[in-house]
Amino acid sequence: MISTPKKDNVFRALDRKLGAVAEFTMRQYRTKLSTWVILGVGFIAIFIVVLFYVDSMQQDIEAIDNDGDSIDWDGDGYPTGQERIYGTDPDNPDSHPGTFTPPIAPDPPEKWINEDDFDWDLSANGDTTVGYDDDGDCRLSDSTQSQKDNNRNNVECDIILDYNEMQGKWAEPDSDRLVDEDPDEEKYAKEAIHRAFLLAIGKMGFVFLLGIFLPLFLATGLIREEMENSTMHFMLAKPIARRDVFLGRIVGYLGVVWPYIIAMGLIVGIISGFAGPGDSFFRFADLGMWMAIIFATMLATLVYGMLFCALGTLWKRGIVLALPFAAWELGMAILSFNAPTASILRFSVIGWSLNIIDAASLVVWPNMNLFINMGLWGGGHGAGGYWSNSIEGADALSAFSSDTGLGISPIATIVVSTIVLLFQALILWLVGSAIFKGKEIE
Amino acid sequence: MMPDLQQVGEGQTQQWAPNTTAPVVLLENVSKTYGKIHALSEITLALSGGVTGILGTNGAGKSTLFNLLMGKLKPSSGKVKLFGTDPWKNPAPYARVGFVPEHEKMHDWMTAHGFVSLFARLNGLTREEAKVEADRVLNFVGLTDVAHKQLGRYSKGMRQRVKIAHALVNDPELIVLDEPLQGCDPLARTTIMNVIRELGKMGRTVLVSSHILHEIERITEQIVILHNGRLLALGNLHAIREKMDNIPHTISIGCENPKELAKDIINNDAVYGISFPSGDNLQIQTHNLNEVHRELPALIVANGHKVSSIDNPDDDLESILNYLTGGMSR
Repeated sequence: MISTPKKDNVFRALDRKLGAVAEFTMRQYRTKLSTWVILGVGFIAIFIVVLFYVDSMQQDIEAIDNDGDSIDWDGDGYPTGQERIYGTDPDNPDSHPGTFTPPIAPDPPEKWINEDDFDWDLSANGDTTVGYDDDGDCRLSDSTQSQKDNNRNNVECDIILDYNEMQGKWAEPDSDRLVDEDPDEEKYAKEAIHRAFLLAIGKMGFVFLLGIFLPLFLATGLIREEMENSTMHFMLAKPIARRDVFLGRIVGYLGVVWPYIIAMGLIVGIISGFAGPGDSFFRFADLGMWMAIIFATMLATLVYGMLFCALGTLWKRGIVLALPFAAWELGMAILSFNAPTASILRFSVIGWSLNIIDAASLVVWPNMNLFINMGLWGGGHGAGGYWSNSIEGADALSAFSSDTGLGISPIATIVVSTIVLLFQALILWLVGSAIFKGKEIE
Repeated sequence: MMPDLQQVGEGQTQQWAPNTTAPVVLLENVSKTYGKIHALSEITLALSGGVTGILGTNGAGKSTLFNLLMGKLKPSSGKVKLFGTDPWKNPAPYARVGFVPEHEKMHDWMTAHGFVSLFARLNGLTREEAKVEADRVLNFVGLTDVAHKQLGRYSKGMRQRVKIAHALVNDPELIVLDEPLQGCDPLARTTIMNVIRELGKMGRTVLVSSHILHEIERITEQIVILHNGRLLALGNLHAIREKMDNIPHTISIGCENPKELAKDIINNDAVYGISFPSGDNLQIQTHNLNEVHRELPALIVANGHKVSSIDNPDDDLESILNYLTGGMSR
C-alpha cells in the first residue's frame, strides 16, 4: 500500500527530522530527574527573593518628620506647624490658637508629619520649576523675600529642576527653603523599592541566574551525553546532517526552558503586580517590564544554550570550559550597573540582554532619572547634605537601574540588542555544529 | 509473516541521487590508525547484493569498519563510498541504509513503537507516516504484541529486534548489523537469523558481523574475514573449508566404549593419532577430514558402536584463522 505523499508545507517539513529530534529531546528531559531538580532549584531561588519583596511591601515605612514641625516645643498642646500657620509663637506656652475666639482645637501631631509631599509630576523633559508649599511654612508672612526665594529665580517657594542635555541627566533639585521638605516616605519608598525589585530580579534573578544556570546544566550535555551513552549511533545512522541534530537538540532544550521562563515571569509578575504599590488593584503598566524580562531571558538562554552545548561537544568536561564564561558574564553584569557605556560590555551576552531590560524600564517608567533624583534629594534639608536626606529605596533603585549605554532611543536599543543576540546565537550554532561535525564517535 | 516492504511516504532526500553503477559498499585502500595502532590497514572491498558475513575475533576491526561505513569515523587514508558517496561528508546515503549498532544502550523510557517512529521521522517521514511505518517494521520482526511496552522491560533479544526494526525503516537497500546475535536467547537468535536471510532473499545488501563462525554459517556462505585490521579472506565459506580439510584436524566422538571404537578406527590410513580425554569420549587426529567423515559412519554401523556425538571441536573461527595465518594468529 502506497499512500500518496501530501505536499510539504513548512509545518510538515518541520514535523519531519528537526521536529523529531526536538520532540525526542523534550521527552528525554522529562524523564530525567536532574531536569526537575534544576528547574525546582531555579524556582526556589526566585521565590525566596519574591518572599523578601512581598514582605518588604507589607511592612510600614517609618514616616519621618523631616522639618520637625509636628513637635510641640512649648507644651501648649499645639504642634509647631499649626502655631506657625496661625501666627502664634511656637516657643511661648501662652501663645496658641486656643486663645482665639472661637478657640481652634489642636491638631494631632501626625497631621504635621509628611505634610509637605512632592507636588511634581514626572513629565518634565527640560529645565522647569515644580513644587508647592503645602504647609505654608515657606510662604509665612514673616519670612523675608530672600528666604522665600533662595534659589533666586524670582518665583517664591518653588523648586528648579535643571536638565543637562549633554548627559541626559537631571541635576540635584535646587529648592527654595521649606518647599516639599516633608515628603511622604512610604509612598515614595514603596514605589522605588518595587521598581528596584523588578530591575534586580529581572537582571540578576532571571537574565543572570536562570539565563546562565539553566543552560549550564541543561544544555552542556545535549550532544555530549548522547555521544557518551552511544545513543548517538542510532541518530547519526539516519540521513540527517549533524548541524540539524545540533539545532534540533537546542530547539528541544528551548522547548523546556522557554515555557518555564515564561511561566516563572508571569507568576512573579502577577504576584508583584498585586503586591506592589499603586492606586489600582493591579499594576498593569509593569506587564511591559515583565515582557522585556521574559524576552531578554529567553534570548540569553538561547545564546548560552548554543555556547554551552558547543563547549560540551568540544570536550567531555565542557562544564569546566563553561564556568569561566559564566564568571566573565557575572563580571560584565556587575560592570553594566556602574558603567553601562563600557565598550567591553559589547563582548558579552549579558550586556546586550540587560540592555533590553534597561531600555524597557525607560519606556514603562518615563523619567526614571528624575524619579531617582527626587528620592535622593528627599526634601533637601537636614544636616548631612545631598545623600543623607535620601528616602529609603532611592539608593537601591539608583544601583539597579542604568542607562541603556548605546546612546539611542529605548525602542531602538531593544531592536539592536535583539538582533545582536540572535546573531551571536547563529554564529555559535555554526561553530558548535562544525565542532560536532569534526568529532569521531565510537 | 512477511508483510510487503513497500515504503510509506517519501524519504526527504530527493536532492541526493545515488550512483546506480557504483557498488553499494566500496572501500579503497582504507586504513584507520590511532597513533601507532592500526585498527584497519589497506582494506579494499566492494559489495553489492546478498548477505555477507564479516568474521573476526574481538579487536579484528569489524566495528571500526562499520563505523567508517556509517560516517562516525573518518578514514586515515583511502576512500569509503556508500552508493558512490562519501558518508563522512554527506549523510544523504543513509536514507537507503539501516544500521544496527553493537551498543547496548537505548533509551529505556521509550516504547519500541516510539523509538522506531522517532527514527522513521529522522528518515524524513511525518509523524503519521512514521507511525504506520513503525507498525510495519515491528510486525516484520515479530514485536507487534509488545510494541507499546517500554524498552527497559524488554529482554536482550527483544531489544536486538527493536534495533533491527529501527534499521528497516524506509526499506533500506543496505542493512549493516554489528554483532546482532550477541547475547540473544535461542528463540531471538532464530528469529533474527530468519529476518536476515529474508532480507537477503529480497535482494538487499546485508552486512552481518560476528566472531562466531557457526552463527554466520547458518545465515550465509559469503564471508569476509578480518584479522588484526587486515582483510584475511573474502569469498565462499565452503571453499575456505575445503582447503582446510587437508590440514591436521581433531574429531571428538562421544560413545559408550571408546577403546573398542579406537581399535576399529586406527586401521584407517587417514588417522594418525588417538587419545581418550574421558571414559565416554574419544579424540582422533587426522590429515584428511573428508575421508574420515566418509568412512566413519559406515564403520560405526558395521561394528555396532553406540555413538552419541561427532564434533569437530576446532572447526571454528580460531582454527580457520590459524590455518589462514599459518599458525600466526595465536
